[in-house]
Amino acid sequence: MSLLPTTRRGADAPVSMRLGPQPGEVIDRRRTIPFTWNGEDHRAFPGDTIASALAAAGVRVFSRSYKYHRPRGLLTADYLDPGAFFQVGDEPNVRGAHRLVEPGMEVSSQNTWPSLKYDVKAVNQLAGRFLATGFYYKTFIKPEPLWPLYEKVLRRFVHAGAITPDPGEAFYDHRHAHPDVLVAGGGPAGMAAALAAARAGASVMLVEENHQLGGHLRWGDAADLAALGELRAQVAAETGIEVLTDSVVTGRYDDNWVGIAQRNLPGVAERLIKARAGTLVVAPGLIERPYVFAGNDLPGVMLSTAVRRLVNLYAVRPGQRAVVMSANPEGDLAVADLERAGVEVAAVLDARERRGVVRAHGRGGLRAVETNEGRRIEADLLVTATGWTAPTSLLNQSGDRPVYEPTAARFRPDPARMPDNVLAAGEIVGDATVEAIVEHADAVGREAARRAGRGGPAVTIPSLAPRPHPELFTAGTGGFVDLCEDVSAKDITTAVAEGYDSVELVKRYTTVTMGPTQGKLETVNAVALVAAATGKSIAETGTTTWRPVYAPVTLGALAGRPHEPVRHSPMQPWHDRHGATPLVAGQWIRPEHYGDPAAEVRAVRTGVGIIDVTPIGKLDLRGPDVPKLLNLLYVNKWSKLGLGRVRYGVMCAEDGVVMDDGVTGRLGEDHYLMSTTSSGAATVWEWVENWLQTAHPDWQVHVTPVTTAYASINIAGPRSRELLGRLTDVDLSADAFGYMNVRQGSVAGVDDCVLWRIGFTGELSYEIHVPASYGLHVWEQLMARGADLGVTPFGVEAQRILRLEKGHFIVAQDTDGLTQGYTAGIDGLIKLDKDDFVGLPELRWQRERDEHAHLVGVRPLDGSIVPPEASQILDSSGGIAGRITSSRMSPTLGRSIGLAQIDRELAAVGTRVTVRLPDGRDITVEITDAVHVDPEGERQRV
Amino acid sequence: MSSNNGHGGHSRYSAWSLVRHGLTPKSGWPRAWREHDLESSYDAVIIGGGVHGLATAYYLARDHGMRKVAVLDKAYIGSGGSGRNTAILRSNYLTPEGVRFYDRSVKLYEHLAADLNYNVMFSQRGHLTLAHNDSSLRTMHWRTEVNKLQGVDSSVIGPDEIKKLVPYLDTSADTRYPILGALYHPPGGIVRHDAVVWGYARGADAHGVHIHQQTEVTGIDVSHGRVTGVQTNRGPISTPVVLNATAGWATLISDMAGVSMPVQTFPLQAAVTEPVRPFLDTVVVSGTLHVYVSQTDRGELVFGASVDPFASYSMRGSLEFTEGIAGHVLELMPALHRMKLLRQWAGLCDMTPDYSPIMGPTPVEGFYVDVGWGTYGFKAGPVSGEAMAATLASGKPPEIISAFGLDRFTDGRLVGEKGAAAVGH
Repeated sequence: MSLLPTTRRGADAPVSMRLGPQPGEVIDRRRTIPFTWNGEDHRAFPGDTIASALAAAGVRVFSRSYKYHRPRGLLTADYLDPGAFFQVGDEPNVRGAHRLVEPGMEVSSQNTWPSLKYDVKAVNQLAGRFLATGFYYKTFIKPEPLWPLYEKVLRRFVHAGAITPDPGEAFYDHRHAHPDVLVAGGGPAGMAAALAAARAGASVMLVEENHQLGGHLRWGDAADLAALGELRAQVAAETGIEVLTDSVVTGRYDDNWVGIAQRNLPGVAERLIKARAGTLVVAPGLIERPYVFAGNDLPGVMLSTAVRRLVNLYAVRPGQRAVVMSANPEGDLAVADLERAGVEVAAVLDARERRGVVRAHGRGGLRAVETNEGRRIEADLLVTATGWTAPTSLLNQSGDRPVYEPTAARFRPDPARMPDNVLAAGEIVGDATVEAIVEHADAVGREAARRAGRGGPAVTIPSLAPRPHPELFTAGTGGFVDLCEDVSAKDITTAVAEGYDSVELVKRYTTVTMGPTQGKLETVNAVALVAAATGKSIAETGTTTWRPVYAPVTLGALAGRPHEPVRHSPMQPWHDRHGATPLVAGQWIRPEHYGDPAAEVRAVRTGVGIIDVTPIGKLDLRGPDVPKLLNLLYVNKWSKLGLGRVRYGVMCAEDGVVMDDGVTGRLGEDHYLMSTTSSGAATVWEWVENWLQTAHPDWQVHVTPVTTAYASINIAGPRSRELLGRLTDVDLSADAFGYMNVRQGSVAGVDDCVLWRIGFTGELSYEIHVPASYGLHVWEQLMARGADLGVTPFGVEAQRILRLEKGHFIVAQDTDGLTQGYTAGIDGLIKLDKDDFVGLPELRWQRERDEHAHLVGVRPLDGSIVPPEASQILDSSGGIAGRITSSRMSPTLGRSIGLAQIDRELAAVGTRVTVRLPDGRDITVEITDAVHVDPEGERQRV
Repeated sequence: MSSNNGHGGHSRYSAWSLVRHGLTPKSGWPRAWREHDLESSYDAVIIGGGVHGLATAYYLARDHGMRKVAVLDKAYIGSGGSGRNTAILRSNYLTPEGVRFYDRSVKLYEHLAADLNYNVMFSQRGHLTLAHNDSSLRTMHWRTEVNKLQGVDSSVIGPDEIKKLVPYLDTSADTRYPILGALYHPPGGIVRHDAVVWGYARGADAHGVHIHQQTEVTGIDVSHGRVTGVQTNRGPISTPVVLNATAGWATLISDMAGVSMPVQTFPLQAAVTEPVRPFLDTVVVSGTLHVYVSQTDRGELVFGASVDPFASYSMRGSLEFTEGIAGHVLELMPALHRMKLLRQWAGLCDMTPDYSPIMGPTPVEGFYVDVGWGTYGFKAGPVSGEAMAATLASGKPPEIISAFGLDRFTDGRLVGEKGAAAVGH
C-alpha cells in the first residue's frame, strides 16, 4: 500500500486510506500537488478530486448541515455530493467531489464556526424538535417590531460559501455550435450513439459531465475496462466527434437550442456553448438514489456507487468495517470492491430478501447499524444500493412526461411524447448488458443522424426496458430526505398532514429539492413519502417540474465576454481633443459641453455655432405608400408634402401619449428621410416596421435605418448661412432655400449630403447629414472656414437651453408616459378630421373632455432661482397640480425660465402658483407662454 | 359541516405552540386549510387560487359575512403568478392613483403576518432603483417629489450613499452604464410569496371559505345577461357571483362569459442562483439594464427582468434570458461572476394598454374581473382582495379602485403607470 505523506501530527492524526494501484484509477501517482484544507497542508495526486484527496487522508467529516449543523461526510462521491460543498479561495459552493485539486488550492469547509469539528450552531440539533418544517411561518409573528431582528438571525444560518467584493479576474467565453447530433452523456451508450451517428456522416458533439468518458464502466471489472478502452479508442479515432469532458448540457430549449457549460478549456473559467442540434440524444445514465432511514446522514453512510468510485477511480478505502444493504447487482459488486480494498464486510443485507437497515447510530460518524431483524452491527461504513433515479430533466424540457414504472421503482421516458428531434439512449431507457446497451445506442445514434438529415435507411431501435427492482425508498424510521436542505421524512409527512398535500406544495413548504442538487437525489424519495402520506400512488402523485438549468452555471459564463457597444459619432475624436465633457445618452457618448454652455448659447444667438447631432434617429423611407405611413403614424397631415419640403410631426401611441417627434423631408418623388429623437431611434424603427408588417403588409414602403450612415451637424446662428455658404454648392439664399425646406448637394467637397433648414434652437439654422465617413472632415472644415466668424462648437447642454428659450418640448422630459397630445400643446398639429391615425380615438376623447393638464412656460418671480426639474407645483390646498419639467438659467434673458405641466385650472398665462422645491422651500412662479425668446419666430425665418 | 372555528384552540401559530408541539410530537398540527366536496351552489365563486383570489375570499368572508364562497384553482394554490413572481413590494409609484393604491397594499402587508397569524416574512430592507442616465435620474426626482407629497418615503441618493448600502455595486464612473444616482425607498422590500398565499388560504378556510384545488373551470353560464353558474371538471356550480381572478388566463376565462378583455399575455422570466452568505441587504433595480436583484433569507439571489418581447402562453425559460440577466447583473456587480445560476422559470403577465389593472364589474351582471395585473399583481394582492371583496359584496367598486374599471377603455380614461411599472420592480 502506498501511503501519501501528510503533514498532520498528533494522536488523532488520521490513517491514510489510500490503496495500492487500481486497474481503473484516474490518479497519477508519479507526483503530488499541495493544497490546504481548513488551513492544514495536504497533498493530492493529479486526478484527485478535493474530496478523494481528503478521504485518502482519512478525513471523514467534510461539512456541517444547513439547519441543524450536523456533521456530514461523503454520500455520492461525485458532482452531486451534498456533503462536499467547499469554499475554494474566493469561489463559493465548489463541488468538492467533482473539482480536481490544483496546486495551491485553499479549500475550506462552509457553514462552520468556529471550526468544522466544534461547531457552535450544532446546538440546533438539540432544538431540532422545535424547528419542525415551516417553523418560521408559525412564529416570529408578534410582536411585529421584533421580526427584523429575527430575520437577521435567520440570515446568519445561510448555508453557503461566501463571495468577496474584489475577486480575481476570470475569463469567460461563448461559442456557437451547430452539430448534427448532440449527445448528452459520455457513458457506454453515449459513446456508442456518438460513434454510430458520426459513422453515418453526422457531425457529433459528445458532452460528458465527468473528467473522463466511460460512465459506470470506469469503476467496472476487467471486462468493463476492456470495453471502455475499446470505446474510447474508437471515439478518439473518429474525427466526426468532438468530445467535451468536464462539461454539461445545462438545458434544452425550443427547437433543440441547447446550452452547454464547458469547463475543460485551459485559460477559460467556463464557456457557454450554444448549440443548435439537429438531434439531441439524451444518455445521462442513472443516478443512484439514497435510502431514507434514521441516521442516514451520518458520515460513513454512502451509496454503493460512491464506494465504487472511491475504490476504483481514486484508490481510496472508504472505511474499515462495512455493512452493505443491496437490492441490485451493482450493490453486490460493491461488496466485492470492498473486500478487494481490504474493508471488512461485517454483513450484507440483501434487500431482495427483505433484509435491510432501519437505523444508523453514531455521533460525528457511523458507529453501528441496526437491521430490520433486530441486529446491531458495529461498522464505520454503511453502503446502500436501493435503487436508481432516471435524470429526466432534458426529456422533460423537451416536452416528454416520463412515466413511473412501479415494478422497476423508477421513471422512464415516454417515447410517445418525445419530439422527433430528441432521442434517449442507455440506462435512462432501460437496463441490459453492456453489449445490449451499446447495440441499442448504436441504433439510436444511426437514427439520430438520419433525423438530422444525414440520410440512411430507417432504423429499428431495439427494445430496452427497466428491469424489475424492489420499491425501496424509506425504512419508515425517519431520517433525511434532502441533505442539502436538512429536510427530514417527518417534515414531509407533517407538511402533508397540514394540508400541503401535493408534491409542488410540499416542495415549497419544506424546501425539499430546492437546494443545489435540485432534486436529482431527493425528488423520487420525496414523491414516495408524499404518496404514502396521501394514500395515492407515486404515478398519481407525479414529480415537480424539472426546470433548467440541469447543472449550475456561472454568471460569468452566461454573460460571456461583455459586449455592450458604445456609439460615437465620427467627430468624437475632435470632441475629445477639444475638451468636451462626455454625456452618456443611451448607447451614445456625446459632448455635453466644451467648458461653458452659457457662452455656447450666446455664440449661437449672436454669431454661429455647430453641434454634432449624429445620434438623431434617421430612417430612409422609399415607396409610393410612404404618405400613407406618415399619415398613420403622425398626428398631422402628410399627403401634400411637396418635393423639397420638410415638415415637423409628432407621433402618439395608441393611448394618445406622445411617443416621438421629428422632421421628415421629401427628397424625391417616392423618397423621404425621417428623423426621430435620439433616444427614440430604435423604438420608432420597430414601431414603423411593426405597423407595416402586421397591419399593412400590402403597403409599398421600404424602410432603412440610416442613423449611423450619416454624420449630422446643425449649424445655427445668424451667421450660419454665411458659414455654410462658403462650403456648399447649394443656393442658400432665402428665396431659393426657405424655412422648412430640404436640398441635396455637396458640402466641403463631399457629395450626397442632405441639408434641411429647420430651427430647434430658434435661430437661422441648417441641419446637414453627410456620409458618416466624411463627418470629421466636414466638421473640421466648418471650424476652419468659420474661424473668422467665431464659429463655436456647442454641446447638448447649450442645445437644451436654446430650445427651452424657444419653448420646444423634449419628448420624455417635458412629456412622460401619461402625456397625451393635447397636454403637450400640439393642438394645431393634431388633425382629428383625418380618417385614421394611431391614437386618434384617445386624442378625440381627450379634447372632448377638455380637462387635461397643459404644458406651459414658467418664470420664477425671483429670476435668480432655478427650481430643480421635478419640483412640484402645488394647488391651493397643498395637493399636486403639476411639476416643472425643464428649468434653466437663460443666458439670453439673464433670468431663470422653465416649462411645466400643470392642471388646466392653473394654466392661464399670468397665473401665479406655488412651487415646492426638493429642499422644502416654496417659491412663486408665473405661468407664461411656452416660448420665452422670439415668440414671433422672426430669427429662424430670415 | 363545521366551517367556522377560526383559529381557535391548538391551531393558533405562536412560538409557544411551536414549543408545545415540539414537546408532544404526536399531537400534530391541524390542516392549514381543509378539503371539501364540491357543493352544487355557492354565494360566490372565485376563479384563481392565487393571492388575489384567496385574499378576496378572505376579506369577503371576514369583513362582509359572505360565507358560502368557493375558490377554484385548476392546479394547486399559488401555482400561477403568485408563486412565480420575485416577491418585491414597494409603493413608490408615479400617479396619485397608483401611489395611494400601492401604499395601502404595503400598509396591509406590514401587518399581514399578525392579521393572518402566519409569518409572511415581509422584509422591509429598502428598495433602490438605479439611474444610469440623465433622463432616469430626472424621473427618480419626479417620483421622489410626488412620493414626498403623498407621504411615501422616497429620496434620490448619490453614488456614495448607494455604495454604502450595496458595497458590491460598481459605482465607479468609468463603467458602461455608470450609476448616477438612485431612487431609495426604505419601506420597499421582499416577502415570502408562497406564505402570503398560504396565509390567506388558511385565513379564508378559517372563515368558512371552500378552497378547491385541481378544479378547472370549463365554462361560465350566463343567462339573460346574468351569471348563473360555472362548469368545472368536477361538475357544475350554480352561483350568482363569479370573479375572474386569474393571470395568464384572464382573457380565456372572461371569454367564457362572453366578455372581451383588452389584454395581451406575455411571459416574464426569473431565475435564482445557488446561495451565498448574505451580502445584499436591499432590493436593487435597474430599468436601463432591465434587471432586478434581491437576496433571500436563504442566501439565493433572485433575478427578474422585463417581460419577453412577444406574446405567448409559454412558461418555459429561455437561454437568452439567462445570458441577458447574467450580463446585466455583472454590469452592476462584477464581483458576482463566480456565482452560479441554479434554476430558471417563467410566469405569465396579462398586459393592458395602460399598464394598469382591470377591476370591477363587467357588462355581464354578477361577473366581475380582477385581471390585467401585468408584472405587478403580487404587490397589490392584499389591497385588491380588500377592494374586490367590497365590490362583490355590494356590487359596486369602492373609490380606491374606481379608476381601474373596464369601462375606461371605452371612455378613454386610461391610468398610465408605464413609467413606474414597466420594469419598476
